[in-house]
Amino acid sequence: MSETTREPDARQIATEARDRVRFEEEALALSDQVYRVARHLVGSREEAEDLMQETYARAFRSWRSFQPGTNLRAWLLRILTNLNIDRGRRQQRTPDMQPLEEGDYFLYNKLEAATDGDTDEEHVLERLSQNDVVSALSEVPHDFRDVVVLVDIGDFTYADAAQILDIPIGTVMSRLHRGRRILKKTMAEQTVGGEAA
Amino acid sequence: MTAYDPCAHCEEVMQPFMDRVLTDVERSEAEAHLDECAYCRKRYRFEETLRVFVRQAVTAEPMSVELKRKLSELRTPLQ
Repeated sequence: MSETTREPDARQIATEARDRVRFEEEALALSDQVYRVARHLVGSREEAEDLMQETYARAFRSWRSFQPGTNLRAWLLRILTNLNIDRGRRQQRTPDMQPLEEGDYFLYNKLEAATDGDTDEEHVLERLSQNDVVSALSEVPHDFRDVVVLVDIGDFTYADAAQILDIPIGTVMSRLHRGRRILKKTMAEQTVGGEAA
Repeated sequence: MTAYDPCAHCEEVMQPFMDRVLTDVERSEAEAHLDECAYCRKRYRFEETLRVFVRQAVTAEPMSVELKRKLSELRTPLQ
């Protein structure tokens, strides 16, 4: 009798162990992609590495709250974003400190003007270095940068980004719109010079 | 009321166009304008190239082997 009552328990434990191992393997397989996003959500490599470890520690502890079939990468980044906010690493800005951005064509127009009328887009881009882009991105204020990083680097949909950051989808769209413009303005200033257009 | 400026409108919808979130009608309108306007077409091609360039520039630094090992060690030990 004790055999028949214990058997389902043993099977349940085995199933749970297998599910957990599978979850952990899937989460670890995504770590490169999660890191790529994390690295640009925070200021330094060290912070990103700390945050990754905290995120995976929490994810492995609370793996049961992940719903199989939903987006695991988004789930991991939601944890990471919340930890980042909890630890006060993000400075809250007041709305009136938001920088003004230029139009969408600003960067192109500046680069074109600086390349003696060579309007081939590949040549225009040659003026931009990898470091210019990385440092310009780090200068975009957090709220805007988070969305740009998630959508343009992390390839998340607007809906995923909204869920990760816990903001409405309309806010994702407006921050993305402004964030990209701020990024392009910063790149233009770094590459061509800071004179106002 | 200001006159309708198709290039200003094109600039406005460029990013949503590239994000593939426009409606079919808006998308066809944007495509029709890009077909006939070299000014916007040139900028559209630039924006497309720029996105790839930005992505490549910021993803160049991979996660360290050390961090990868640390993450694996966080796994629940098998009983």
